[in-house]
Amino acid sequence: MTENTDLESLRAEVRGWLSVNAPAGWRDASRTQEDFVATQRDWFARLVKAGYAIPHWPAEFPGGGRSLAEQKVIYEELAKADCPRLLLSFVSTYHAFATLHECASAEQKAKYLPRILEGETWCQGFSEPGAGSDLAALKTRAERKGDVYVVNGQKVWSTMAQFADKCLLLVRTSSDGPKQAGITYLLMDMKTPGVSVRPIHQIQGDEEFAEIFLDNVEIPVSERVGEEGAGWAVAQATLSSERGLTLMELSYRMRGALARVAKLIREHGRENDAGVLRDFGTLVTQVDTTCAIADQFLENRIAGIERMGDASIVKNTYSRALRAYSLLGLRLGGMAEQYVAPITFGDLNTGNWMADYMNSFAWTIAGGSEEVQRNIIAERMLEMPREPKSWVL
Amino acid sequence: MIELNELTDAAQKAFPADKLSPPRDASWQLVAEMGWLMIRLPENEGGLGLGREASTAIHYEMGRVLSAVPLIPAQLGLHGVLGSETLAERADWIERIAGGAYVPLHMLPTSLEAGADGALTGTVSGVFEADMATAVLARLPDCYALVPLDAKGVGIAERPVWDPSRRLFDLVLSDYRPDPALIVASGDAANALHDTIGPEAHLALAADSLGGATAALAMSVEYMKMRKQFDRPIAMFQALKHRAADLKTRIVAAEALLWNRARDAGVTNTQMGALKTLAAEVYEFVTEEAIQFHGGIGLTEEHQCHLFMKRAMLNLSLCGSSDLWKERTGREALAAFA
Repeated sequence: MTENTDLESLRAEVRGWLSVNAPAGWRDASRTQEDFVATQRDWFARLVKAGYAIPHWPAEFPGGGRSLAEQKVIYEELAKADCPRLLLSFVSTYHAFATLHECASAEQKAKYLPRILEGETWCQGFSEPGAGSDLAALKTRAERKGDVYVVNGQKVWSTMAQFADKCLLLVRTSSDGPKQAGITYLLMDMKTPGVSVRPIHQIQGDEEFAEIFLDNVEIPVSERVGEEGAGWAVAQATLSSERGLTLMELSYRMRGALARVAKLIREHGRENDAGVLRDFGTLVTQVDTTCAIADQFLENRIAGIERMGDASIVKNTYSRALRAYSLLGLRLGGMAEQYVAPITFGDLNTGNWMADYMNSFAWTIAGGSEEVQRNIIAERMLEMPREPKSWVL
Repeated sequence: MIELNELTDAAQKAFPADKLSPPRDASWQLVAEMGWLMIRLPENEGGLGLGREASTAIHYEMGRVLSAVPLIPAQLGLHGVLGSETLAERADWIERIAGGAYVPLHMLPTSLEAGADGALTGTVSGVFEADMATAVLARLPDCYALVPLDAKGVGIAERPVWDPSRRLFDLVLSDYRPDPALIVASGDAANALHDTIGPEAHLALAADSLGGATAALAMSVEYMKMRKQFDRPIAMFQALKHRAADLKTRIVAAEALLWNRARDAGVTNTQMGALKTLAAEVYEFVTEEAIQFHGGIGLTEEHQCHLFMKRAMLNLSLCGSSDLWKERTGREALAAFA
């Protein structure tokens, strides 16, 4: 009872703050990459100051120490107020934070965590051209020479690496034994000589990801997290850092964005078209279902009864709903959506349904593809057997 | 206060998963003993006084074992009697129902003609298990009323359905004179009763559907783990695993909506209709895939696969079509975003 009262007073407090501080017109101010980055930096700084940027951090940090239930309230209110999502600082406040907090030395924590709050941004150097779903097959080599590792290789699909100050880097320090055992975890400064970044131009014109090329990059041994060869375990902390809040927030945002579909139906005079109404009705229920499963996932986490595979179910449910949402908008919009228009970066609603549709593929592919999630659901939840280690080809 | 998981545990003990389609009459006895006939009956009327979540949990478990017990029409009938301000011997009826008398609501439309003297002739359709009913709560031309099976001018005619775990009847009336003492609701009260019963019916059918879908998937997964071809269990093939994972995803997500709507007192009838549509469509898809997963054996009466498919299709057809609920959901959401 007291707990619920506290949650409601937090909700009122956040809502009150947002009623004054929610940024208006941020979509128009995010039409180019540069403007998007500036908007993001500004919004993050204001949220840090207000104490809402890092509710999941420990209480020793201002704005930290919030329970998962409190975090949920904050994210719900941010979504309802239609604020920009914290995209540029996402890897920093979740992945880098979790890695440093759970696995790094006291010196590393003291050095890096405060800087994140000052706006230092991180990216993740995990995937490689030959190591996607099979991440442990990564080949970027690190050779130890005295006090440094000399790193050579290539990383890909690194979200916003072109704007990042630091990188969470997985490298291979040994090729002996199981492939997981030869992986080491390093913290890399993106300004180190030999690091070059090339943004990846996506099909909708956005550059959300980048490639990172590493040419004899020297990284001090003091920047290693965990022991040499223990990087795979550290990487698990990075990968499990996000606690379902993002998909809950995105699901609520999608529910709000159904208003866009409704508007389109009216604009095209389809209010009494039974076929359109059925499709819209189906989508509404699909989005309600997505909100319900995202909510349930968080509640189970709060109660400590999360099951293996639950997160995969939430992700696949969300990504398919997002595809259906953007497809219906695209279909209703007709030819108008085929003309290239300026889009808002980093938003569920770019302002063009064709761009939204193309964006939706990021969710069925990134962060563990839909197929990888299916394997997890089948193997961990349904206890179906794994494939044999090696197929005779 | 009985906890939900206690109710579920008790149900799973009384109706174990490995005994599909337990015989109807013995099950009815058991259900009456467990108190499930009065699960929604308030405590001050002698019932368990539990809410929607509790009845949803029971309907889910009944769906899981393809129970032949007509618990859904019985619960809907009870809602009618409970809410009645006109039924002459209301307390008496409640006592009889709690004691095991079966007074179902019919689930399909009526086709009745009133003679000059007010006597009714025609059919009241969709009476489940009418052979064991004491009376039927029927929508008559201008009221809801109890129609006793032993009254003059009342008969039943079975209309066999594909689902062998359900028996469906028409109530056949010929010059039946409704007894004014048995009127449950008329005028505005009849409309109010209709509005009360609708969401309950959808919720119960959704629970039955998702319980059944869960069991049908579990049965399929077990089969795929056991069945070997090309020297390995077919459960190893991603072509099948991924389909099973998608079914699991759809079931678990629909269940989240089921519990969300069971708990939310503000849910509209249309939202419940949309839930029922979603759950029944998930059930339909799961059972369609289940037969395919089983291969030839899935097409035979030797295997139990078909039982789930037949229940799925029956549930999908009850209480309004998918098209109707999707269209209404769309229309109401459109109005809400005005």
